[in-house]
Amino acid sequence: MSRLGRLGRLALALLRELADESAYQRRLKLHGLKGSPEEWRRFTEERYRSRSTQPKCC
Amino acid sequence: MKLLGKLLWAAVALAAAFCLGGIALYRGEHIDSIWLVVAAVCAYSTGYRFYGKFLAARVLGLNDQRATPAERLRDGQDFEPTNPWILFGHHFAAIAGPGPLVGPVLAAQFGYLPGTLWIVIGAVLGGAVQDFIILFASMRRDGKSLGQMTREEIGRTGGLAALVTVLLIMIVMLSVMALVVVNALKGSPWGTFTIAATMPIAIFMGLYLRYARPGRVLECSAIGFALVMAAIFMGRYVAQSPNLAPWFTLSAMVLAGAIIVYGFLASALPVWLLLAPRGYLSTFIKLGVMAMLGVGILLVRPQLQLPPFTRFVDGTGPIFAGKVFPFCFITIACGAISGFHSLISSGTTPKMIAKEGHAWPVGYGAMLLESFVAIMAMIAACTLQPGVYFAVNSPPGIVGATPAAATATISAWGFPVSAGDMSNLAREAGEKTLFARTGGAPSLALGMARIFAPAGSGPAVIGFWYHFAIMFEALFILTIIDAGTRVGRFMLQDTLGQVWKPLGRTGWMPGVIAASAAIVAAWGCFLVQGVRDPLGGINSLWPLYGISNQLLAAVALCVATTILLKMHRLKYVWITCAPLAWVVATTFTAAWQKIFSAQPAVGFLAQAAHLETALRAGTAGDAVATRALIFNARLDAVVCGVLLLLVGAILVDSMRVWIGILGGRGDSSVRESPFVLSTLRVEEL
Repeated sequence: MSRLGRLGRLALALLRELADESAYQRRLKLHGLKGSPEEWRRFTEERYRSRSTQPKCC
Repeated sequence: MKLLGKLLWAAVALAAAFCLGGIALYRGEHIDSIWLVVAAVCAYSTGYRFYGKFLAARVLGLNDQRATPAERLRDGQDFEPTNPWILFGHHFAAIAGPGPLVGPVLAAQFGYLPGTLWIVIGAVLGGAVQDFIILFASMRRDGKSLGQMTREEIGRTGGLAALVTVLLIMIVMLSVMALVVVNALKGSPWGTFTIAATMPIAIFMGLYLRYARPGRVLECSAIGFALVMAAIFMGRYVAQSPNLAPWFTLSAMVLAGAIIVYGFLASALPVWLLLAPRGYLSTFIKLGVMAMLGVGILLVRPQLQLPPFTRFVDGTGPIFAGKVFPFCFITIACGAISGFHSLISSGTTPKMIAKEGHAWPVGYGAMLLESFVAIMAMIAACTLQPGVYFAVNSPPGIVGATPAAATATISAWGFPVSAGDMSNLAREAGEKTLFARTGGAPSLALGMARIFAPAGSGPAVIGFWYHFAIMFEALFILTIIDAGTRVGRFMLQDTLGQVWKPLGRTGWMPGVIAASAAIVAAWGCFLVQGVRDPLGGINSLWPLYGISNQLLAAVALCVATTILLKMHRLKYVWITCAPLAWVVATTFTAAWQKIFSAQPAVGFLAQAAHLETALRAGTAGDAVATRALIFNARLDAVVCGVLLLLVGAILVDSMRVWIGILGGRGDSSVRESPFVLSTLRVEEL
């Protein structure tokens, strides 16, 4: 793969990580689940609960 | 290192020294911004390659054979080994806030040189060291927070003081950030419409993610971004519409009220509805705009119009009063050294590090990148004509309330500007006026618009980029306000829960409402104080924020020093003691001057006494407002004093621990998690 292609994949992976999409996929894989609206809700509720106790930097 | 490598690094170090020397000694008409860029990049590269590596290899002894918490405690959510480049971006997105953008713009009142030198040297020897060592310490302790490490390494008193300090800092930070937004949007229908539009856009995104396309965050954020851009375009027509413009032309006090209500709602509403979608959108826009600014500066290579030093190094500055020492060093916190980073370095990041060696680029490297963002902000501000810069950033209480008075005062300082120049500039930017837009955001937006808009662009293009920059700044400041209010609510509920259990339950609505209201009232009180302040509010609140942020850095450096003492005794203690001594010297001097200086423009108590004399003599305009100002000045003095006492207590407690360790009486055991051999392969990431 070209360097530009690798850079693009890395940038997309970063965006997916920042968007919590990768964390969601990891969770599905870890628990052997299939993606569904209910599963996404459960995931975000847990995710936001832990994230919302951490301040954002100034 | 091979000979070629040695020669290359010698050239990079020489380039850093040459450019830093050049910008320090050059006294010509104007300087090309590329000098600052090359000086900063070469200094960061040298610092990263040599000092960072020295810390990683010799001092901290990073060991890739040792399993990290991400590997040992892997749960697929919080603890997850992550590709170092992705984690670098993630950590950078978490530490980079409005601080490195606004602080340098305000500190430019001293000229470009003091701030630039502090940003570069402070980051390489202070900020990056703090972030790296705290990240390392947390990583070796299963991702423990700064508060937990303070309690364990220094003691219960230190831990409690750190908790109260963080809460106080958050309250001051939220108020000053809200004030920056208020000053950027007051009397600006275009800006206010754009920011108001982001609320329904965020709610739409929240509903879209929840019900229409669950899990499609990138797709949803792309739609949200397109809608925000459409809102900026529509903002021009709203501002020009005689029917719509009055709805969005709001006074500072009304805007403050709106932000207070927003903070409360965001804290009490479900996260998925407003806070989370805004957070995603703001993060992507923030990273994109920072990258754009970097590319723009390299392509445009603007000239710096501000001189290396201004007359205001003597402490008579209109934006904030106080001499270059210590006030330049507390005005620029994020970008040089920021205590708040230690909360991030001991938060999510240590739980995602796959190999210990990755802590070097993530902890040390990400701080250098943030420092470069501060350099870009300094460049953007200094590309404005000095007269324009001071006209935008000076409060009417200092330069006069009318355009004629303000331009006469500023021109008399040696920075010529005319009312016509300012009027043309405001028209180009799509604003009614740009006078007295204190807080740094509008002048930064003007500088960014000049860089983004191609040469010879008309008002439509400059106005669009000005409001794009205002939207970018306001959007991510508001996400800090909503997230910070929520965090403050959790911290308060946690504390109140010790007194009465139901108050600690985060799902119990009366408790949620009471704690949210208390936090919002606390920062809202400071915000209203800033709005009422005839000196613009920034004069008193930004130094208070800078002092509190750097006092937190002192706490983090105390913890880091204790850990280094336990690991190596006195051998490497200078690494954290040197920045600690500097931070203590600047913050304690600044705090002392802010409380006790005899000059009313600097000292809170002198300001209160001055106003009281005016009240008694009957020369104060509005008696009720003056009494409020007197109360506020005294409140600021008390907050400043409490912060000093708290950090003083942590310092004394730390010294007691250090003397105990060195004397062989104290506990010198390193409280790291036991060694476990790593089986993780980097290729898996």
